[in-house]
Amino acid sequence: MQAVILAAGEGSRLRPLTRSKPKALLPVANRPVIDYVIDALLENGIREIVVVVGYRKEEVIRHLNSLNVPLRVVVQERQLGTGDALRAAEPEIGGDFLVLPGDNYINAGSIARIKSMRNAMLVAEHPNPSNFGVVVIRNGIVREMVEKPEDAPTFTVSTGIYSFTPEIFSYLQTNEIPDAVAAMIAAGRQIRAIPADDWQDAVYPWDLLKLNTRMLRGIQPGVAGTVDASVVRRGVVRIGKGTTVGPNTVIYGPVSIGSNCNIGPNTVIMPDTSIGDRVVLEPFTYVADSIIMSDVTVGSHSRILSAVFGQGCILADHITTTPSPGLIEVGDRVQREEFGAILGEGVWAAPFTTFKNCIVGNNVSIIKGRTLAGRIEDGTRVM
Amino acid sequence: MCGIVGYTGRRDAAPVLLGGLKRLEYRGYDSFGIATVGSAIEVYKKAGRIPDGDPGAVGLVGCTGIGHTRWATHGEPNEINAHPHMDCEGKIAVVHNGVIENYAELKRHLQERGHTFRSETDTEVIAHLIEEKYDGDLLAAVNAVLPLLQGSYAILVIAGDTQRIVAARDASPLVLGIGDDEVFAASDMTPLLEYTERVIFLDDGDVADLTPGRYTIYHGGREVERPIELIDWCFEDTRKGGFPHYMLKEIYEQPQSFYETIRAGIDEHVRRMVMEADEITLVACGTSYHTALVFKYLAESLCGIPVRVEMGSEFKYFTPPLRGLVIAVSQSGETADTIAALKMAKARNCPTLAITNMQGSTVTRIADETLLMRAGPEIGVAATKSYMAQLAALMEILNIRCDGEFDDALSHAHLAIGDVLLLDIQDAVDLCSKVEHVFFVGRGPFYPVAMEGALKMKEISYVHAEGYAAGELKHGPFALLTPETPVVAICTPGPTYGVMASNIKEIKARRAPVIAVGVAGDIELPEIVDIFIPIPNTHLLVQVLTASVVLQLLAYHTACALNRDVDKPRNLAKSVTVE
Repeated sequence: MQAVILAAGEGSRLRPLTRSKPKALLPVANRPVIDYVIDALLENGIREIVVVVGYRKEEVIRHLNSLNVPLRVVVQERQLGTGDALRAAEPEIGGDFLVLPGDNYINAGSIARIKSMRNAMLVAEHPNPSNFGVVVIRNGIVREMVEKPEDAPTFTVSTGIYSFTPEIFSYLQTNEIPDAVAAMIAAGRQIRAIPADDWQDAVYPWDLLKLNTRMLRGIQPGVAGTVDASVVRRGVVRIGKGTTVGPNTVIYGPVSIGSNCNIGPNTVIMPDTSIGDRVVLEPFTYVADSIIMSDVTVGSHSRILSAVFGQGCILADHITTTPSPGLIEVGDRVQREEFGAILGEGVWAAPFTTFKNCIVGNNVSIIKGRTLAGRIEDGTRVM
Repeated sequence: MCGIVGYTGRRDAAPVLLGGLKRLEYRGYDSFGIATVGSAIEVYKKAGRIPDGDPGAVGLVGCTGIGHTRWATHGEPNEINAHPHMDCEGKIAVVHNGVIENYAELKRHLQERGHTFRSETDTEVIAHLIEEKYDGDLLAAVNAVLPLLQGSYAILVIAGDTQRIVAARDASPLVLGIGDDEVFAASDMTPLLEYTERVIFLDDGDVADLTPGRYTIYHGGREVERPIELIDWCFEDTRKGGFPHYMLKEIYEQPQSFYETIRAGIDEHVRRMVMEADEITLVACGTSYHTALVFKYLAESLCGIPVRVEMGSEFKYFTPPLRGLVIAVSQSGETADTIAALKMAKARNCPTLAITNMQGSTVTRIADETLLMRAGPEIGVAATKSYMAQLAALMEILNIRCDGEFDDALSHAHLAIGDVLLLDIQDAVDLCSKVEHVFFVGRGPFYPVAMEGALKMKEISYVHAEGYAAGELKHGPFALLTPETPVVAICTPGPTYGVMASNIKEIKARRAPVIAVGVAGDIELPEIVDIFIPIPNTHLLVQVLTASVVLQLLAYHTACALNRDVDKPRNLAKSVTVE
């Protein structure tokens, strides 16, 4: 059996985090989302995998090459939609196949449920169905799909994972897969709805924190770097090659730390934290429930809570991120969310900057320490 | 400047040899050929590139064989001149990388004694010489012939009646790969990575007798031990993956290439050598010459040490008076001119340092100390990530001389390099792909950056390009400016910003279109130029790197727009191992 992983889309609702990589490459528990999808396929013995790439394709290809898994890569030149992406993969398809989004988590058990079916889709229950394709099911058969409705008729949503026969290509009239599925239903074909065992999506940047917490439950312990004898570790902790953890640092797992980092001395890392490669956490800094991507520096005496820091942020000392419930504009709606800070790539912050429920764009410089909330656009200089 | 490969073991030799030659194609790709020991020697040769799974070649029988991919030196590239070359009776086959300088004389003697020559190559004489000495002991025959050869060689020899390869090297590279009951030989380690990580770098004058289960190395007639080294490069790095070209893949590997080289640091011996030098001479060719020039500008202005940069090919014949530290810069470590220069520096008792990407290569054996760059295997003929790694190594030297002043800039430089990879330069590509000439100008360290940009442009896109110091343009080249000759100008904040801006205005006044590489946030420059490409506003050292990447991308995309064979530009080979 073959599988097509769609990894061409940017995932624009996750901006500013998608500046240099698509959503499928964003790290949760220190692994790009697409890795979990590939693992789930391999566990099911599915080894003929085609990956459709597009947005920032060079980064995706480089990552795929590093996996040592035989993958075929096809390029979707313009990101017109999932159907168009599938069409790009058509020349590689020789029989029944699965289609999966490369930017959602799926477990092997879910794929086992669908892989032997012809014309089926995995569905899941979600509290905010309006962000997804809502599925109306009768007797296990899909009756109707409604894309991102204002008022959802049910809480059942499409996971975007399908099992198709090559027949699907003749129904692919538009650039979206759900349209093709609707056309199949209209033509009298039956599409079975199979409940997924475990499926998670991150739609907005703050959802990444929940996904990160979820995925950190599955990490294996392992310490590769240089860890001082006085370091206190509890729970599952992973530390990569070349990382140095200085004296009197406290790490309570689940925590995953990448390679070549420099942590401490006297730093505290609390549960549900992922730290990428080449990260520097200076002394007397406290981090909890956060994703700190590669090449970030956090100065001393900082307190980082519920934050996502994009690659290459340079933060001075006494930085605080304070989670507080706040209203965030998403599209033309307002949503109530609680998180500390979402920082894009290359953010530079002066000492004593406080972020409160703040989304900071890429390459923003904060010249003078102050309290910031709300949204700050890319490239802004905050005086 | 050719690539050779040999295999003896349990597998069918032909596919192993062809796969190996594909990896060596960067060393030359005019023609190729392989020979295997079946019931007798079977040979297959062809002019042109190595196709994937050539049915004619894969059909050869035998578990011992040799192969060759050619960059023509003696005789035009056709099937007859392609290696392997045979003796009169087809019992001996030879592949050879290097040049036999006295081949004409040897050939005349051999012809007088009744040997028939089929090709115009220098290599064929080796086959006929071995034929004369061969009586069932191939090793003895090769040993008897080697003293007659003058010049440079790495050779692999097989005979039709024995499952063995005899290998010999003198002044051309040869590496052995040791597997389980199989032995590989190749010009460099890239063909071996797929099968083994254990390699032996042969020394000049070594002769090796290879059979499936055993290898024996001789030097001066006596058996010697050579250490087995473990290679940490992985085979994955030599694959193109999903990239359309190796060059693009390698351009995108540059942040890593730079970072890894910086992180590897500099060992104590090299550090002392650098700190003690009161004068530095760099010897290099091609792209490495440009990185050396960048170093000169930066080192002289930032740490006040006198630096001289010499081209390897000139240095050998017109040697300047030498004092102080001599640094040889060579990606492959096999560049013939650079090696010759390095030997001369040693002969004059100068401390010598080699900066190279190839562990175990010839320059590392000659120089007192080696600073290894961590670019990983570079397959594209146009140097990109090795250029970046060379700059990393040289900037690290600079940083040591300045007591770590640039620690911060260097440790974050890879982020800025990654940043410019996101740039959209389509407008500039559209412009350059429609013209016949492009000028590149810059001042200070950006002058060699401009030269490198011009080199990349001409070597892969075949668009005529020249790099000039911006002030020199008025002393002649100005006469060539027309609306059809775009000028790429690198203009970043600093003492030369004002004068660069007025240079650009002068160029504009001659109606030549200007593509400017400047820093993000510059408001004046975009007003006066046709196309503005912003690089991050960072430290000068980092601007040198990012501006270089922009010019690489410009050359690459221009070459693609013109449908050029980016990875194998015409007439070129990656490492120039002949003078």
